[in-house]
Amino acid sequence: MTVTKTEIEKLSKLARLYFSEEELEKFAGEFDEIIAFADTINQSVEGGTSEIRSVGTELVNFENLREDIVMPSLPNEKIVSNVEDKDGFFSLKRSKK
Amino acid sequence: MREIISELSKKLHSGEVSSVELTSEYIKAVEEANPKYNAIVHTTFEAALEHAEAADEMLKEGNADTLCGIPMVMKDNICTDGLLTTCCSNVLKGFKPYYDATVWEKLKEKGAVLLGKANMDEFAMGSTSESSCYGAPFNPRNTGHVTGGSSGGAAAAVTANMAAYALGSDTGGSVRQPAAYCGIVGLKPTYGSVSRYGLIAYGSSLDQIGPLTYSVKDAAIVFDAIKGFDRRDQTSKAFDYGNILDYLDRDIKGVKIGIAEEFFDGIDPDMKTQIFDAVKLFEKNGAEIVDIKLPALKSALPVYYIIACAEASSNLGRYDGIRYGHRTGSYDSIDDMIYKTRSEGFGAEVKRRIMLGTYVLSSGYYDAYYKKACVIREEIRREFDETYEKCDILIAPIAPTTAPVLNFKGLSSVEMYLSDICTVPINIAGIPSISVPCGIDKKGLPIGMQIMGKRFDDAKVLNMAYFYEQNSKDWAGNFEGGVRI
Repeated sequence: MTVTKTEIEKLSKLARLYFSEEELEKFAGEFDEIIAFADTINQSVEGGTSEIRSVGTELVNFENLREDIVMPSLPNEKIVSNVEDKDGFFSLKRSKK
Repeated sequence: MREIISELSKKLHSGEVSSVELTSEYIKAVEEANPKYNAIVHTTFEAALEHAEAADEMLKEGNADTLCGIPMVMKDNICTDGLLTTCCSNVLKGFKPYYDATVWEKLKEKGAVLLGKANMDEFAMGSTSESSCYGAPFNPRNTGHVTGGSSGGAAAAVTANMAAYALGSDTGGSVRQPAAYCGIVGLKPTYGSVSRYGLIAYGSSLDQIGPLTYSVKDAAIVFDAIKGFDRRDQTSKAFDYGNILDYLDRDIKGVKIGIAEEFFDGIDPDMKTQIFDAVKLFEKNGAEIVDIKLPALKSALPVYYIIACAEASSNLGRYDGIRYGHRTGSYDSIDDMIYKTRSEGFGAEVKRRIMLGTYVLSSGYYDAYYKKACVIREEIRREFDETYEKCDILIAPIAPTTAPVLNFKGLSSVEMYLSDICTVPINIAGIPSISVPCGIDKKGLPIGMQIMGKRFDDAKVLNMAYFYEQNSKDWAGNFEGGVRI
């Protein structure tokens, strides 16, 4: 199975990633190989169970969920401590356009 | 056998040494050795000395925990309030979380001392730790070779006696494989037994935090301290393990050891010989050997990469430059800012996996890849469950070879992924597994043996590993340098 450059461009939009022309060329080749590898699951197992659950599902006790109680929030000062503008908000510079 | 935690604990509790003195020794060791091994990427010496003072107070009061006052390191993807946690990625450079991971909260309560955050593959994606934005750590057993990944820095720090123990995370072998490459012990506990709250997610249904230590007993002590239910992690489980340390000395007579040939396909022949020598030791002491078939294992690797990458592409969606970490310098619009921030911030391997994850979840491919992988995952889990009706534990290698050389560019991505073939099935099944040193190859590099049990049978896995360690040659051996006890 070959993944086209157009498909890679479409995927990069979904993933919110830019690739230069050069990167795109290189990536298309690598991606083909990775997809071929992922594709081996379609050759290796026939049939299978229709039941799908994650490893964690059975560990969750849905009958015994905690009460929905309002708890204190983290202080704004802490939450915005990793943001450049610290006026109590997440802020972005105005776009040029 | 060097049981570092027990030995240090005795000295701290008897007052022979204080935690501040011990921590100062470790700080000196890190300053001397770290430039050589690049194992620790953010040192937290000031905090360490504060922790040590608090630990000394706890020791004076009596009833202090075994881990009280003992210096350790944590992988750079475990959140520490106010201390850098960057996943060794440019996208999180400078990030200081405002809360502690549950594991660190638990260790802090017991008086642990944090020396720093350990080097790792970016976002825990890799098998050599070479994708770290801070450069690769070097294997203390031979600095021309990789430490393994993705908890490579944690393994190197423990091996070179720069920390008494470390916490790593294991999504597809990332605790066990670096432990094997560096000749120490690495435990991946049962999925759900240790809280993942505060562990920066890679593949949430596969990730599990585990200890890297010099000995099996040390691993048991650390696991005992970090396990347990956490209401902040919906996948954590309240399971009563009893006293794990009491379990270590149990007789192994009658234990059924399963050997599945699928694990030994394409394995280095010397490594195979060493592992079978270990199996013979168990047999000589009353264990029974059972031949096991695990045909679904051949699908485990693609299933792992599909599920892990799908989860990673979703988990890594939050790195948009708005709330934390790196933000690009100039942009034309919010979209442009997000694209540029992510493109500059993520390294090549992370981008590759985000793209694969996006592909397998995208319309038209979801059924053929992601859904199918989930179905096969169920088959692998069922196969393991059935296997454990025939035997108590399984023994296998950790990786097809010992530690590869650094900067080896001869392998494609897929060939690199193949090095995880022995470890990923365990994360898919959610079972516990330990890596124990069991030999040295012709190049003098350590060989690791993998012991796996059924879910929540972590104590049995530790028991078998402890028996082997106590009754075989001291493969972990002594390492010149670092803190000497």
